Amino acid sequence: MKKLLFFAVLTLLSVKPVLYAQEADTLNAKIEELKSALNGLTETYLETKTTVDALKKIKLSGYIQAQFQSAESDAAASYAGGNFSTGVHNRMLVRRGRIKINYDNDLTQYVLQLDATEKSVGIKDAYVSVKEPWLRTFGLTAGVFDRPFGFEISYSSSSRETPERSRLFQTLFPGERDLGFKLEMNAPDGPLSFLNFKGGVFAGNGINVETDNNKDIIGRIGFQLPFYDINMAIDGGVSGYFGNVTMASGKSLYTVDSPEAATTSTGVKDVERKYIGADLQLYYDLPVLGGFSLRGEYIVGKQPGTSSASGSYTAAPTADIYLRNFSGYYINYIQNLGDSWQFVLKYDVYDPNTDVSGDEIGANPAAKLSAGDLKYSTLGLGLVYYYDANVKFTFYYDSVKNETSSKLTGYTDDLKDNVFTFRVQYKF
Amino acid sequence: MKKLLAAVLLAAISFGFVASETVITVKGSDTMVNMAQVWAARYMEKHPDVKIQVTGGGSGTGISALISGSTDICNASRPMKASEREKLKMRFNSTGVEIKAALDGLSIYLNKANPVKELTLEQIKQIYTGKVTNWKQVGGNDSKIIVYGRENSSGTYTYLKDNVLSGEDYTSNMQSLPGTAAVVNAVAKDKNAIGYGGAAYAKDIKDALVKKDNSSEGYAPTADNIKSGKYPITRYLYMYVKSRPAGALKEYIDWILGQEGQKIVSESGYFPIK
Repeated sequence: MKKLLFFAVLTLLSVKPVLYAQEADTLNAKIEELKSALNGLTETYLETKTTVDALKKIKLSGYIQAQFQSAESDAAASYAGGNFSTGVHNRMLVRRGRIKINYDNDLTQYVLQLDATEKSVGIKDAYVSVKEPWLRTFGLTAGVFDRPFGFEISYSSSSRETPERSRLFQTLFPGERDLGFKLEMNAPDGPLSFLNFKGGVFAGNGINVETDNNKDIIGRIGFQLPFYDINMAIDGGVSGYFGNVTMASGKSLYTVDSPEAATTSTGVKDVERKYIGADLQLYYDLPVLGGFSLRGEYIVGKQPGTSSASGSYTAAPTADIYLRNFSGYYINYIQNLGDSWQFVLKYDVYDPNTDVSGDEIGANPAAKLSAGDLKYSTLGLGLVYYYDANVKFTFYYDSVKNETSSKLTGYTDDLKDNVFTFRVQYKF
Repeated sequence: MKKLLAAVLLAAISFGFVASETVITVKGSDTMVNMAQVWAARYMEKHPDVKIQVTGGGSGTGISALISGSTDICNASRPMKASEREKLKMRFNSTGVEIKAALDGLSIYLNKANPVKELTLEQIKQIYTGKVTNWKQVGGNDSKIIVYGRENSSGTYTYLKDNVLSGEDYTSNMQSLPGTAAVVNAVAKDKNAIGYGGAAYAKDIKDALVKKDNSSEGYAPTADNIKSGKYPITRYLYMYVKSRPAGALKEYIDWILGQEGQKIVSESGYFPIK
């Protein structure tokens, strides 16, 4: 019996190490298996990361502005989203339906923006931009993009507190964009870091096909002065537009700068288009109430146009050209009321012909003056409500006053063209 | 026309001014998230009428939320960039208010088994830009350096890039992890790893002594060295609000900057600003 017990204990003692060794082998095998699985996962993760990093460069953004508008009269001529149709004084429309694709490769960018509404689908931006890698200070942009003039053009319609840009900008820069090449410079850190410059050469027709050999030069020198300690900032700049409009063959140029008679020139090849502008923006944070900004811009210059309008050409002129000295400005006050509300007040003036006024317009046929020479001022009042990070509501009223002339049929009194706008915007 | 306008405006104003409870939202830096949660919990204990919601996501995420108006306070382990201030200006007509809430040393994490004890700022830069790839090149073993870092939404990522890498890009071999705790964990498990993050997170790893240059002394990210400025990678931890704080928001920020809030800063492993 003792022998049997002794044998059994001996057997157990000799078997246990064997078992331990087997367990260790199994464990090692398991660890190796897990290591392989982990390596496989790491490899997959790195592959996925490469794909995700590439996809991260594609940035998709956009916004839709749907609105209801009511004008004072049927078929009101308006700069609050275009003229009202015959017999219509209230309307619903998609003012802007934008989708923007940006492939951002840090120093190089591809940007394509489309605008799709019930009226049409069209290109808003289509450009390439390249920044030099050494100082990251200079950049080149080529394609269709915002003209580098003033402040209001480059201030996005999705961020702007008023539904539309001022009459001045809509007249001089319809569609804001143009075809061209632009150089940009943002001064590196140092004593001049507050300065920036953007300027280039453009076709001069907006987002339209090039129609002549003339090229326009547009540029702006800007500054940004932040005073973070007192929560204030002052930005501004001066801009210039130096271009020409090509005359159609056999047509005349009328310089309409006198109430007596326009100066007629024939055989002219190019007509000067020249603007000088200055803009200033002040930002300050009021205790309890919130931040406010006061923005202003003034432009003066020479504008070629037609007999009845001073808007910039978007196609080659086919008729006589009327050259006017113009000026215009706007002042815009925006007050944040807490996080969600903004109060907006804007006053803008556009005088397409500073050499004539009032009853002089339409009085003398030799002066060749028309409704296109009348001065307009617009007082806008509104509220903006930010529902969340994506949605905002705008309630805005435009009170428009036109210069009157007892000698001009249809303009002896102020036109009934005030417009109320209710807009809802979704932006992502 | 005028009646329609008046009715719409009245409806709009009434819609916007519906009474709401006092809720303060805080979003941003992962470096600060633990501390911010303790701030919030202690404050809510004493102010049951105030609800504070704290989330992380990184300084960049917090700043984006501040700009979009979806957070009241943004925590950031780096200063806001001028371009970010511009965006804030466009939406809120304010350049934002910066509040320094704490002081932190940005630690360089090494595995405890790594024989390397100290690194110069230049060596750290070379490792993180991929110019130095073997520990042997900085006095260690002949082993490949496994580089860990944060994702680009992290303020710590941006801070190191701007202040140590002189703006150069991180090496493409860097493995980006979603939080400082993940970086610490990865370095603790790999003897050839290097990582970076807040000094408060350094557990089961060792901090490299950091030297300004070859001829200077190496310093650990200790309280004294960070407060005195001897430790070369020292930074502020910030809170940003859209405009001058008022009401419950101001009271909460004042409390954080006061004795009790700053005590929590110390308890969390960071350093009070006063």
